[in-house]
Amino acid sequence: MGKFDGFRGGRPGGFGGDEEFNLEQMEKETEEMLKMRFLDKKNAEFKATGGGFVSLKVGDEEYSRIQVVRMFPFTDPDHYISIRTSDENSKEIGIIKDLKDVSKETAELLVTQMNLRYFTPIITKIINIKDEYGYAYFDVMTDRGQCRFTINMGGSSVVHLSETRILISDVDENRFEIPDVMKLTTPERKKLDLFL
Amino acid sequence: MKKDLFPKAVLKLLKENGIEEDDIFAASATDMNTECLYADGFVVLTLTQLAILLSAPDEKEIHSFKGYMTKQKAFDISDKEWTLKIYPLEKTENLKAEPQVACSVLTADVDGVTYRLTAFSNLYKREMHKLVRTFDKICMETKVNKDLEAGKEGKPEDAPGPGQFLDPWEPKKDGDKEPESKEERIKKLKVYGVEDEKEKDEYCPTCGMMYPDRSRKVCPRCMDRKSIFFRVIGYFKPYKARIAVLFLCYIATAGLNLVWPYLNGTILYDKVLAKNNEFLAKFGIEDGKYITALLMVVLTMLMARITIIVIGMIQGVFAAKIVTGVVRDMKKSIFGNMGKLSISFFRSRQTGSLMTRVMSDADRVTGFFIDGCPYILINGLTIIVSLCFMFSIKWQMTLMVLVVMPFVMLIGLKLRPRIWTQFGHRHRAERAVNSQVNDNLTGARVVKAFGQENRETTRFEKNNLRLRDAEMSIVGTRNLVSGSYSGIFEILNISVWLIGVYLIMVAHEIELGVMITFVGYIGQLQGPINFFSRVFHWWSDSMNSAQRMFEIIDSVPEIREAENPVELEDPKGRIELKNVSFGYEVNRPVLKELNLDIKEGSMLGIVGRSGAGKTTLVNLISRMYDPQEGQILIDGKDIKDLSFKSLRRNVAMVSQETYIFMGTVEENIAYANPSASHADVIRAAKLASAHEFIMRMPDGYDTRIGSSGRELSGGEKQRISIARAILSNPKILILDEATASVDTETERDIQKSISYLVKGRTTISIAHRLSTLKDADYLVVIDNGKITERGTHSELEALKGTYYKLMELQRKALALKGIE
Repeated sequence: MGKFDGFRGGRPGGFGGDEEFNLEQMEKETEEMLKMRFLDKKNAEFKATGGGFVSLKVGDEEYSRIQVVRMFPFTDPDHYISIRTSDENSKEIGIIKDLKDVSKETAELLVTQMNLRYFTPIITKIINIKDEYGYAYFDVMTDRGQCRFTINMGGSSVVHLSETRILISDVDENRFEIPDVMKLTTPERKKLDLFL
Repeated sequence: MKKDLFPKAVLKLLKENGIEEDDIFAASATDMNTECLYADGFVVLTLTQLAILLSAPDEKEIHSFKGYMTKQKAFDISDKEWTLKIYPLEKTENLKAEPQVACSVLTADVDGVTYRLTAFSNLYKREMHKLVRTFDKICMETKVNKDLEAGKEGKPEDAPGPGQFLDPWEPKKDGDKEPESKEERIKKLKVYGVEDEKEKDEYCPTCGMMYPDRSRKVCPRCMDRKSIFFRVIGYFKPYKARIAVLFLCYIATAGLNLVWPYLNGTILYDKVLAKNNEFLAKFGIEDGKYITALLMVVLTMLMARITIIVIGMIQGVFAAKIVTGVVRDMKKSIFGNMGKLSISFFRSRQTGSLMTRVMSDADRVTGFFIDGCPYILINGLTIIVSLCFMFSIKWQMTLMVLVVMPFVMLIGLKLRPRIWTQFGHRHRAERAVNSQVNDNLTGARVVKAFGQENRETTRFEKNNLRLRDAEMSIVGTRNLVSGSYSGIFEILNISVWLIGVYLIMVAHEIELGVMITFVGYIGQLQGPINFFSRVFHWWSDSMNSAQRMFEIIDSVPEIREAENPVELEDPKGRIELKNVSFGYEVNRPVLKELNLDIKEGSMLGIVGRSGAGKTTLVNLISRMYDPQEGQILIDGKDIKDLSFKSLRRNVAMVSQETYIFMGTVEENIAYANPSASHADVIRAAKLASAHEFIMRMPDGYDTRIGSSGRELSGGEKQRISIARAILSNPKILILDEATASVDTETERDIQKSISYLVKGRTTISIAHRLSTLKDADYLVVIDNGKITERGTHSELEALKGTYYKLMELQRKALALKGIE
């Protein structure tokens, strides 16, 4: 073994004499890992930054920019919101259990951030769908204006989030959503029939 | 971004604001403003400035994405409000294209504050990524410059290149090349207007649309069905003689079918049964011998029927021969090309479904060509000839038919699409049921362990009901179609009979036989009309299948062998990585400017948390993917120039995903070297600690394993794949978690064989368990795509960094096992 003397301490009986191993410390670390820090209007102060982001002060900690991420973006968008550091390997700073736990202004601020993050045009009207040679060409009206995009027919471009709610991803993975298929007109649904 | 895509108006505007086109180093279009509202714009980077031009969002504008995007995006700024922001680079830092859920945001720190500069859809991901990379490089160069101005030592020529600056662990260069001057290096950073091999021909030359899939230069909208058709015809060429026979059969059948009503009607009733002596005389039958005549007619009719049946049989045999031949040829070329495609192709597509679909596509295409194509001609002729006969018999009755025919066609055209949609529903319902069965079979243990049988049954019932409903609706529509078809034809028949009876009984214009002949022709029309109401769909369906098939056949592998590949003669096994950057997706780099020099015959250990990029690194060395930037050299030769044969022979990998092919143990071990002798195979198995367990199997080395054979445990599979790598006797051996799923004891055995194995070859070993790497000469820690630590075991331990921490953790874990 030579180079790896360190591993020998792990054998049965060896543990008593191993100062590195400390059960208490491990328990503490585990507890730390499981801890959920909930943020609300009492302990956290969110502020809009000049650059279009949000900063946070919680206790002694200050973050000049944070990320607002939904834990259940489709099924429960207003609860369990993870507030994370903005770097590439972002870490959780805390959780907002319910948007009602923070002030109305803060909630608005965070919702704006999330709307930007989860940018997904809502399809309000289907103008035309044409499928040909493995692709389907969509021409739709969305809440952001008229959009024309292409999806791949082979893959999982159309995902059913529920019986009536549909998420469509184009060839570049730009997303579009139909919140309720039943709200479309019958001719529109017919055009969409291939994907229902 | 290509030069010709940049609108002149924008260039003019930039010029007015002090940015000349020649100054532009990188540029990208964008389609959203900072609030994620659709708005056209441009991001432009020069050596000193970053300019962001955004138009005001316009709700009325149509936003086109890939597949609709035309080459020259009109950006007429004259009628739009726009804002231009220019940021000096000296105050701008950390330009980033941050991926969001389904779009990205361009951010930068300006004077210490992070700003949201613009957002953009995934359409511009690639361009924007390039711009950000160029920004980083420019910053690095200028930073070097500043340091020099600040009076630090060293001549400008000695300044490290862009990649080296980030990585303090850069191994020393050979020094055989003249270092470039800073100006030259900066000049090289320019990407604006520089033709990129990968971006060549992004747009369809015919319609100007951006291809939906850049690796496949096919525009689905412009794809000519005719050319696909003729390409498919090409597959039938080798079977010319057989096809000629087939056509003779088709024509003979059609001809006989046309004669039948005449034989059955006019001749039988009006000539023979009506005791027409004139007619009898024509055939040399004496007057009054009606029974003979009748016998002859019946015999002729019988002969005609028998001939039709015999021809049908011949036709069947020939069609089957041609179909199977063509399908085999098509599948062969699909499978052949599939093998050549790069890993990225299989990664980006739902391969399983694609492949099975393509395989059945071959049947569908050929089916149309045999059962559909010829009948367009034959059925067309049948309709025309029948109508001609009918006209010659009685034009008044024929008019009746002509009035009804469009209705029949209409029913077909109206109701058929409904069936096709329903077929689609049924297909999806079937798939849902099948995949659930599959899911439950694979996960049977989990379902049972958590006692969820009932819930699974309910879930299954739901899918099953959906399948039943889909089936029912198909049956419903089918009944409707056939019902209305026969309804219309019945009405037609009855009205023709009525007119006929009038003509026979009252007007005495025609005879009974003529009437029967006429009705016979109406019957003759039914099939062809039915055929034409579905042939168009059939045709487009089959062309779609053909297109999918050609998609695979035509796909150009991303990793291609160089045109004049270099062979590795007398390989040494030295591996160098120079500024290697790579990501599976453009703006999510997995490896960032990696530099590494692995000496020949040495063993390198790679440590890092999962997802750090370790496997990606070895995938690049074995050229499963090509790096986006930088070079990988083996014995000083770029692996892109090496022949595949040289590369594959000299680099072998035992990966964490083991795969056992269908076949015997021996075949599996000798996979890379089928001519290996029994002795070689046994030796390799022994070295991989596989011999003992192989010998415990009843058929020894001849035991059938793989998907249809005996099940092997994870550790056994891994040992077989190690043996496979040993037998291929490579100069470079890559062990990617090769011993991850074997028990400690077996691992120790394999360790022994590995320490024997590494002699005389370069070995790269990736492991989570640090004990696996105890023999490594040199270790690197990869974190977040970069090498963060490197050195020998004791050097890294002394460093007290990640490696030390990992060691501590594993030591603790072992200690924990100790208390059990």
